[in-house]
Amino acid sequence: MKFKDQWRFVRSNMKRSKSRVFMTVLATAMGVTFLIVLASVGFGLQKTFVNDIIHDRAVTQIQIHGIDTNDDYALITDKEIEELEQIDKVKAVTRQRNLAQIPAYHLDNYETFAETVVTDFPSEFEAGMELTEGALPDSPYEVVVGSDFAGTLYQADVAEDEDLYNEEGVLKDKYAYADSLVGEKIDMTVEKGEGDEIEEHTIELTITGVVQPPAREWIQDQYMYISDDLLRDIETFTGTPRGANIDPDYPKSTEELTGYNNVNVFAHSLEDVQEISEQLSEKNYLSYSAANELKEINVIFTVAKAGLIFIGTIAIIIASIGIYNTMTMAVTERTPDIGIMKALGAHPKKIKQIFLLESSYIGLLGAVIGTIVAYILSILLNLGIPFIIESVFNNELPEGFQFSSIPFSLIAISTVICLIVTIISGLKPAKRATQVDVLKAMRREI
Amino acid sequence: MIEVKNINHTFLLGKKQKETALHVLKNISFSVEEGDILAITGKSGSGKSTLLNIIGGFMKPTEGSVMINETNVTNFNEGEFANFRLDNIGFIFQNFQLIPSMTAFENVELPLVFKGIPEKERKEWTTQTLAKVGLSDYHHHYPSELSGGQQQRVSIARTLVIKPPIILADEPTGSLDSETEQEILQLLRSLNKEMNITFLIITHDEEVARIASKKIHMLDGVVVKEEINS
Repeated sequence: MKFKDQWRFVRSNMKRSKSRVFMTVLATAMGVTFLIVLASVGFGLQKTFVNDIIHDRAVTQIQIHGIDTNDDYALITDKEIEELEQIDKVKAVTRQRNLAQIPAYHLDNYETFAETVVTDFPSEFEAGMELTEGALPDSPYEVVVGSDFAGTLYQADVAEDEDLYNEEGVLKDKYAYADSLVGEKIDMTVEKGEGDEIEEHTIELTITGVVQPPAREWIQDQYMYISDDLLRDIETFTGTPRGANIDPDYPKSTEELTGYNNVNVFAHSLEDVQEISEQLSEKNYLSYSAANELKEINVIFTVAKAGLIFIGTIAIIIASIGIYNTMTMAVTERTPDIGIMKALGAHPKKIKQIFLLESSYIGLLGAVIGTIVAYILSILLNLGIPFIIESVFNNELPEGFQFSSIPFSLIAISTVICLIVTIISGLKPAKRATQVDVLKAMRREI
Repeated sequence: MIEVKNINHTFLLGKKQKETALHVLKNISFSVEEGDILAITGKSGSGKSTLLNIIGGFMKPTEGSVMINETNVTNFNEGEFANFRLDNIGFIFQNFQLIPSMTAFENVELPLVFKGIPEKERKEWTTQTLAKVGLSDYHHHYPSELSGGQQQRVSIARTLVIKPPIILADEPTGSLDSETEQEILQLLRSLNKEMNITFLIITHDEEVARIASKKIHMLDGVVVKEEINS
């Protein structure tokens, strides 16, 4: 007996008891919908948390906060940078230190005071520093600026009684710098000394690029990024590390100024992060990586999702009682037909296959309908939950918040669970069908 | 063709542990040759139906053996017998045993479906067989839309479609009026002659027994008389 013919039998049998089959499919679909929607909350919240963690950080990035030296803490210096660069599978080591004074910047008749970060552009290039426009510098007097640097420039030649800022404290448009900064010459003025003895040094710089804005809207990047060579120029003028305009008698200052404020190690791939982190830990570096945090969060969410899927499976098991009932009824109703079929030469295995195919088909229909309904519910949840929370609790949910998410893996898992449960629930009735006694089924002895 | 040897059969009746034994077949032996029509006659309770059930594989005898086409089928399991039936034995039942939800065509086609015959051939054979029993115009009729005689013809067509060498018939005219009975008996006789099909017919009707080439009369589980019709 061919599969096509078995399939024909199944469809014809199901047509004979449409309403009962419909109710069974409905119950199965409800079970599958419950499973998927329940687990989708786990998937959705995980996605939200993970996105939040990796939002503006590369997952291959490991932040180095310092080095643990016998219960003491020290900043990373060039010596450690060399060591970090030697670690296997490290792609780049970026390092930044803040200039120890806030220089004044002049561009035509605009001026600003901006915090200045000294960075190693070749390693930033290696790590994949992204610019919205322009290119990275390739000479000591070329610089890049933060995405919000232009917003800090204000017109310098404004009458003293004129207010530069509006009522909200924002620079008025007419005094703000509106053009592109790329290619513009900008003067940097650093100073040393105090009171009447202040001495100024102005260096002409060229802006070659603007750094991409941080992913989080509330973070502002108003920095000026300069090279090590330019720092040395400034240090020569001030005679202090990092160009600090400090009291030479202040004992700790020099020591504090020799280290880097911000060091990041970049791995070639996400898989390498764990190995590099372990090596860093062995070498007493104090490090943090989003990938490691992700790993822990993923473990927690995996357990939570497994729990939700388990609870959802119970719904399908309850629905499977309906399938068992339907199939048992089908076998009972068709007992005379089964008897005739067996008398004509139908193999018991084929009869079993027909009934298993029928219960599997009910399960598959339930899974398909349940998945479609779950998708619709998931969309409604994602639209409705933020609205409810905002209107009832007066709280605003973070940007990109996703309450429910249905990845393909969840559909696959729920379909497999549904099919297994429905096939198991159809097993006993199918076996009963094979055990039908021909003579009893035909209601009389021949 | 069919060789029944020393068949004994006992039913255990009543509650477990307190059963009483009922010996329904006692040392039955006979043989049927290819092309024969054997009629087994006897009163109700004589054991003729039990004997047919054993030969058809629906029951296992307590003792003895059944050889069909030189194959010992006594110890076949259900699956083995199912396959054997598809190739060797056709059944005609007193109350036709048609599947009510299937049309005449679908009922006749059923054994071919079980045999895995391709659809095109299946349709061809079914059409030819229905024509042979005079039901070409009734393909799409459900059993409830047919007369008793027509239903029995569908049942015969369903048996013939697999071209079995042996047909076991249980009171094939038991539910029919005398006029239709004659038509069906005529059909069985012609099938025996044209297709050389061996028939084993259970009946208590002398009219039916008259078409047989050999008769066995049973009484209380024993063969009391064997005769050959001239």
